[in-house]
Amino acid sequence: MPMPSDRASQSPRRRATVLKRRVAPVRIETAVHPVVVLAALAAGAGLLTWFAAGRSKPLGPAAGGRSYSPRGRDVTASAAQRLNHASTMLAASVLFDSGLEHYRGQFFNQAMYTPIVVSSVTLAASLHGAGDTDPGSSRVRHGVQALAGLTGLIGFGFHAYNVGKREGGYSFQNLFYSAPIGAPMALTLAGVLGVAAERVRDADPAEPRLAGLPAGRSLAVATAGMLAGTTLEAGLLHFRGAFQNPAMFVPVTLPPLAAALLVRAATKPEGASQAGAKWGMWAVSAMGVGGVVFHAYGVARMMGGWANWRQNLIDGPPLPAPPSFSGVALGGLAALELIERSRFRF
Amino acid sequence: MRSRLDLYPGYDVLAKRDGPSWNAKTREVLEERLAIGPETRRFFNDIEWSTMTALAERIVPQPADRGDPVPVAALVDHKLATDTRDGYRNAELPEERDAWRLGLRALDSEARARFGARFHELGAWAQDELLKLAEKGDLTGAVWEGMPSKLFFHQRILADVVKAYYAHPTAWNEIGWGGPASPRGYVRMDFDRRDPWEAAEAKPGREDEAYQENLRVGR
Amino acid sequence: MRIPGLGNAADNPKHATPGDDPEHHPRARDGRAPNVMRIGEWVPMRQHRDEEEVDFAIVGTGAGGGTLACRLAEGGLSVVAFDAGPYFRPLEDFASDESHQSKLYWTDERIVDGENPLQMGSNNSGKAVGGSTVHYAMVALRFRPEWFKARTLMGYGADWPLDWREMWRYYDQVEDDLKISGPVNYPWGPHRRRYHRRAHEINAAAKVLARGAEAMGIGWTPTPLATVSAPHGDAPPCVYRGFCTLGCSTNAKQSVLVSYLPRALKAGAEIRDLAMVGRIETRNGRATGVHYFREGRWRFQRAKNVVVAGYAIETPRLLLNSANQEFPDGLANSSGLVGKNLMVQGNQAVWGVFDEEIRSYKGPPSLAISEHWNYDDKGHGPFTKDFFGGYSYMSQGPLPQLWANTQASAHGLWGEALVAEMQRYNHVAGLKVVSEYMPQERNRVTLADVKDQYGLPVARITYSWCDNDKALNRHALKFMREALSAAGGREVWDQVDDTCHLNGTARMGDDPRSSVVDADCRSWDIPNLYVCDGSVFPTVGGVNPSLTIQAVALRTADRILARRR
Repeated sequence: MPMPSDRASQSPRRRATVLKRRVAPVRIETAVHPVVVLAALAAGAGLLTWFAAGRSKPLGPAAGGRSYSPRGRDVTASAAQRLNHASTMLAASVLFDSGLEHYRGQFFNQAMYTPIVVSSVTLAASLHGAGDTDPGSSRVRHGVQALAGLTGLIGFGFHAYNVGKREGGYSFQNLFYSAPIGAPMALTLAGVLGVAAERVRDADPAEPRLAGLPAGRSLAVATAGMLAGTTLEAGLLHFRGAFQNPAMFVPVTLPPLAAALLVRAATKPEGASQAGAKWGMWAVSAMGVGGVVFHAYGVARMMGGWANWRQNLIDGPPLPAPPSFSGVALGGLAALELIERSRFRF
Repeated sequence: MRSRLDLYPGYDVLAKRDGPSWNAKTREVLEERLAIGPETRRFFNDIEWSTMTALAERIVPQPADRGDPVPVAALVDHKLATDTRDGYRNAELPEERDAWRLGLRALDSEARARFGARFHELGAWAQDELLKLAEKGDLTGAVWEGMPSKLFFHQRILADVVKAYYAHPTAWNEIGWGGPASPRGYVRMDFDRRDPWEAAEAKPGREDEAYQENLRVGR
Repeated sequence: MRIPGLGNAADNPKHATPGDDPEHHPRARDGRAPNVMRIGEWVPMRQHRDEEEVDFAIVGTGAGGGTLACRLAEGGLSVVAFDAGPYFRPLEDFASDESHQSKLYWTDERIVDGENPLQMGSNNSGKAVGGSTVHYAMVALRFRPEWFKARTLMGYGADWPLDWREMWRYYDQVEDDLKISGPVNYPWGPHRRRYHRRAHEINAAAKVLARGAEAMGIGWTPTPLATVSAPHGDAPPCVYRGFCTLGCSTNAKQSVLVSYLPRALKAGAEIRDLAMVGRIETRNGRATGVHYFREGRWRFQRAKNVVVAGYAIETPRLLLNSANQEFPDGLANSSGLVGKNLMVQGNQAVWGVFDEEIRSYKGPPSLAISEHWNYDDKGHGPFTKDFFGGYSYMSQGPLPQLWANTQASAHGLWGEALVAEMQRYNHVAGLKVVSEYMPQERNRVTLADVKDQYGLPVARITYSWCDNDKALNRHALKFMREALSAAGGREVWDQVDDTCHLNGTARMGDDPRSSVVDADCRSWDIPNLYVCDGSVFPTVGGVNPSLTIQAVALRTADRILARRR
């Protein structure tokens, strides 16, 4: 048997060189988090849109100077502003929701930056429109809103493809946990309502029409459909949460009810009272905002509560999601305003 | 054979100590473990100790330039001093503490018989040769008092030494484990995903990226 | 009003550890027991004097004993449940540490022998209030209906004296109680009610199983687990920390400690922690109470009925240790079967390395499962079944110590080879089987000469595989090897020696000559002595046993309460 000698080829010393710890390279540490960079980018894009929309705004001499009253005098202008409130709400919801969810997904695909930039410019365009009391559309805003509508559709395609290619395909499991199939549609809704706002601005205040149809009635039916779609999305995710809290039933019962009222409103004869539908829309709007509070409570119920926000904000109920209901409901109010052909305060 | 790499450069699981990944109990438990120094010893006597430390270095070798090596022998000593048991023993093995004393003594005698020196005085190659014999159960001298060297090697040496090493944060850093996780757990569970508070693996050519990521796990 | 979930679990990281030592000083005393759901809080507990003859003394508070204690107390009976282990407060006592959490295991001495000596302790024996459910992997599966008549319908093992349709109702009940999180539609077996929580998101390790199953053309599904995916009372949902088998510090896991025992306390049951029962006393053919060691002395609790629920090692050990003049071979042992037919389940695994990062330490360890081979009795081609019984297999998520120990003990690595291989930890995925082994009388629990710290003879556990077991192992390993390779695994290797779960040492049956207890878990020999845990299983099936143990416990409670009325 050989003696203990230098045959020890496995000397730890020799291996050790492989393991040598890297010495910290001297470099100027940039303390800016990538998320901050992204947020700045999004905000920048939004600002640019704002200014772009502002420059192209027609300054009609008939207006007798710019009016900064909260509402346009014409019912079309007022309804258009309302529609822009709606698209503002939706775009904001999409901005924060896609930001959160795509941050969770670590922007694994470069395309995941798209909705953040697009919803930012949509938000800016919508805000701009919300404050614009002038009749007459803006080409920039119109273009941006159309872009949002298209982006949402493409996103929907992406998400649908993503779900399908997972292990298990279009199973409940993947509908729950892979890219949420319905979420990008919120951006489309924002775009559609934003485009409608611009079209309504151009419509005849005496008899507003959209794509050849009576504006109020067609918009009412459309927003009712949007409410139904949003309900499906909420229903799917609340089913994932097993409706563990009774309040989770509200967004799957109240919006369909309100949507039904809206459809009824569209079929009512001219001049009939629309109080029911109006209350329905306001209730859904309030629910969307209240949902944020409930979701915040949900985050607090997760392990570690708000102190563990880095996990719970993304694993818990999504804070920015419920306001998309409010957005759609505001669109419904605009529709009612157009049906009644008179501005109303609430 | 594969070799050890600096796969998770800059990663230190202890950087997360004061964040939401560690609860009070975990901090208490780890503090106690990290207080065990390389010479902390309550169970083994001097002779057993020198064999034990040499043995630990063969089972879980550590890089020579590691400033603060894992005190593997002391961790095994701690287990035995506190009489922490597995909950079962093979009928052919004595109780854990007795098995260790007997086994270390026998290993030392076998070293002297075969190589003319005590176990810890041998070179790495000879030590490994002895351990390979024990692994196969080929050490059968009277010094073993009937204890099968194979069982001792597998159920005592491997189990206790390996578990001692991988109970230490330094070993966790080396393999890129996330470490303690409560109340905060994990979010991203898919292929090739990591949470910002997990170790980043150095991909060839992108080591600096991983290094930068790893400095951030405690933030 | 306290809002559930606020200002409690939430401030856990800042909270100090409790000042008392639950491993040496009982917590359930002075009319109160720990409120395990809230930091530092207590719940009132009804207490009984030793001289008071309680309706039921229950030995063990795990899946069997704890569940039964709850239902009996809710039925209005006076109950004292004993556990040899500590009463832990998961939010405060559980560290995220493998070594430390071995405090959950039964680590008192036990001797193992036979041709295939078992590994005990960590993977199959708990010593804590709540029993092994405190560290189980939460896999909540139902038996295949045919298994309840394995002898008659499938030609092996023994029949259960229970009807599967009745069991289906009790499965419904326990699944509701534990708020099992499972898939919307479970692919195997007869119709069952929808699970009460949706299945968890699956991790990469589980997706490996899914890929493999899809490549092999068999079904897979997210595993039904007893850890909530949405809040339930004070329990927040799972945070995917991955320490499930080391105790859940989140309380998302619905162990008996946080599910049935709080209910039991509310209904008036008494729980005695750190109370080791050493002997059951009998007189005139009836049990009269239990001798137990607590707070430094032996005491005797009088009881009208005694239930043994110590799991398949401690249950026969207690029955054998209780031998007296009246019953010289041990209690309930006229059939001679106490301690015999010990059944574990195969727990072999295949492991492979993947190009992708897997990081299987995240999430519950077994997030995906295939039960295909429990329901396919024939197989085909290279996977033709040449054995009785079936198996399920699941994805895995070993933590570093366990993984290193597997690499050392099962893969034979040490030295540089080990430390280098361990660096691939984040790239490893594996499949692990839970398979049905046959009952054999030679596999048994007897008493050893060695005594434990209470002065009681310890258990000697003898175990050997039969040819059927070996054939099953071969089939399972071969199939999983192909599945793992098909999923992209490289350098696939087998871990051949692992087993899990304990059953069968006091089997139930229709005939006093061939069984220890009847369908109601009542011993044939002593009418007021019951056994209620995995010991009563005549066969084990190819799924984790806890859900069935709990369903049987619920049924036993109903039968006991029905008899009183």
